[in-house]
Amino acid sequence: MSEYLLLGMRTAAAAELSPARTGRHVAASAAWHQWLRRWGLLQSFALAPSDQAWPAGSFGYPAQPRAFLVVRASGLAVADRLAAGWARVAGYDVQVLPLRDARGGDRR
Amino acid sequence: MSESADAALEAAFRDEWPRLIGATLRLVGDLQTAEDVVQETLLAALDRWPLLGVPERPGAWLMTACRNRARNVIRDNGRAHQQVRSLQPLLAAEGHAADVEPPDIPDDRLRLIAMCCHPLLQTDAQVALTLRMVAGLTTDEIARGLHVPVSTVAQRIVRAKRTLSTHRVAFANDQPDVHSRLAAIVDVIYLVFTEGYLPSAGETLTRSDLAAEGHRLALLLTELTPGEPEAWALRALTSFQLSRWATRVDADGMLLTLDAQDRGLWDRNLIADGVEALGRALDQALQTERGGRGPLLLQAQLAACHATAATFAATDWGAILALYDELIAVQDTAVVALNRAVAVAMAAGPAAALPLLDELADEPALRDSHRVGAVRADLHRRLGDMAAAQADYDRALHLVGNDVERRYLAAARYRSITGNSSA
Repeated sequence: MSEYLLLGMRTAAAAELSPARTGRHVAASAAWHQWLRRWGLLQSFALAPSDQAWPAGSFGYPAQPRAFLVVRASGLAVADRLAAGWARVAGYDVQVLPLRDARGGDRR
Repeated sequence: MSESADAALEAAFRDEWPRLIGATLRLVGDLQTAEDVVQETLLAALDRWPLLGVPERPGAWLMTACRNRARNVIRDNGRAHQQVRSLQPLLAAEGHAADVEPPDIPDDRLRLIAMCCHPLLQTDAQVALTLRMVAGLTTDEIARGLHVPVSTVAQRIVRAKRTLSTHRVAFANDQPDVHSRLAAIVDVIYLVFTEGYLPSAGETLTRSDLAAEGHRLALLLTELTPGEPEAWALRALTSFQLSRWATRVDADGMLLTLDAQDRGLWDRNLIADGVEALGRALDQALQTERGGRGPLLLQAQLAACHATAATFAATDWGAILALYDELIAVQDTAVVALNRAVAVAMAAGPAAALPLLDELADEPALRDSHRVGAVRADLHRRLGDMAAAQADYDRALHLVGNDVERRYLAAARYRSITGNSSA
């Protein structure tokens, strides 16, 4: 198993929100995180400070990082699938960065 | 999360939305900024709650986060110094703990509705702004509901915000006379409801999202203005009409008229709510200076006659006709006259109503509507004059805009030719 950093990002000018849809997203996202924990795939997480304003174009990407997950996966393809799931339930743009290979040694 | 917890969370976000917009608007003074602040707060909740857990009092968390963010925006805009000093007592009283229950200021929601229905705005702008700011629907959802392009709705909302801003309609200082604006508010909410309940165009007979929003806004209005008979009348009317929701079309999507609907499937809870709301409306109407019943209250009473009749045959058409006579005295419109003609036909027979319909056929308000033709065709059919019925069905089919009603009329015309009642 390797570790991957999933970076959840939103564009600074977020699209118009529907409160009802946001409620559904929160519920779906909470269920998804529970599932990740239950299967031991979530190593750790961090959240950007809620009032943090990142300059547009930070990280070479016209979006702001909002949440970070360190997940365990057997390979990049699996990590990509986890990223796609997270993007779907939370509405993020998700970037995947390999962190460490289970056989030892940092990948970065 | 269980399905009920999901639904509760969704409802909490929807219910909090106008409170958050109102409270933020009070601080930042500008609708666009308030909307941006609330949106960003919702996104923060979407980031944090799934990982950290949903707070014990989600509404309190959102309200505190909104106010903090609004305070930051004021500061960032460089206008803060003076404003924050004037807001100091309010901000100091908030506390910092996210779980502290903020003081509920129900007037903010009412004030928000009054602002969205400001007389400076045209009705279509009032509807769009109310649906966005009070109901929390997105521009896309509103456009879908009203069957107009997204760009049209976006323009209406932008122009409405600009109009309010240009005329310096200040939220915090604006003390709307709710009584004087209530008629406009009720009209806007009923317009939202009817556009969902009986769309003027489109492929379906009903648009559940808009009708449900209209009903929800009517409930909110009674919560905020419990002493207003028109608000209770609106609630009663929408409850009665919504109670028949599930029975208005059959499994094939064909329109079912009142006589063909399965009354066992009518929503008894909504009917009970309507009866209670109607009772309060009538009590309060008696206590007002005018002491009379307004058009909405009379319409709610009419709806009650149908909703509480055990069978179609048991409908008290005499009482309905008497109510229409009262209604036409206070609201002399062609549409009311048309509905009254239907009641005459039911109470006194089709022949008594035909001359009334002939008079209405050239009314400007009905000239482009299929309704006169549809009613007259049905009366001719009941009198056995099939040739006249078919001619009127043809006129109605030429004018009808809703696809479900078109299919109903086409089937009725076919039956008038073949005499086949099952077609």
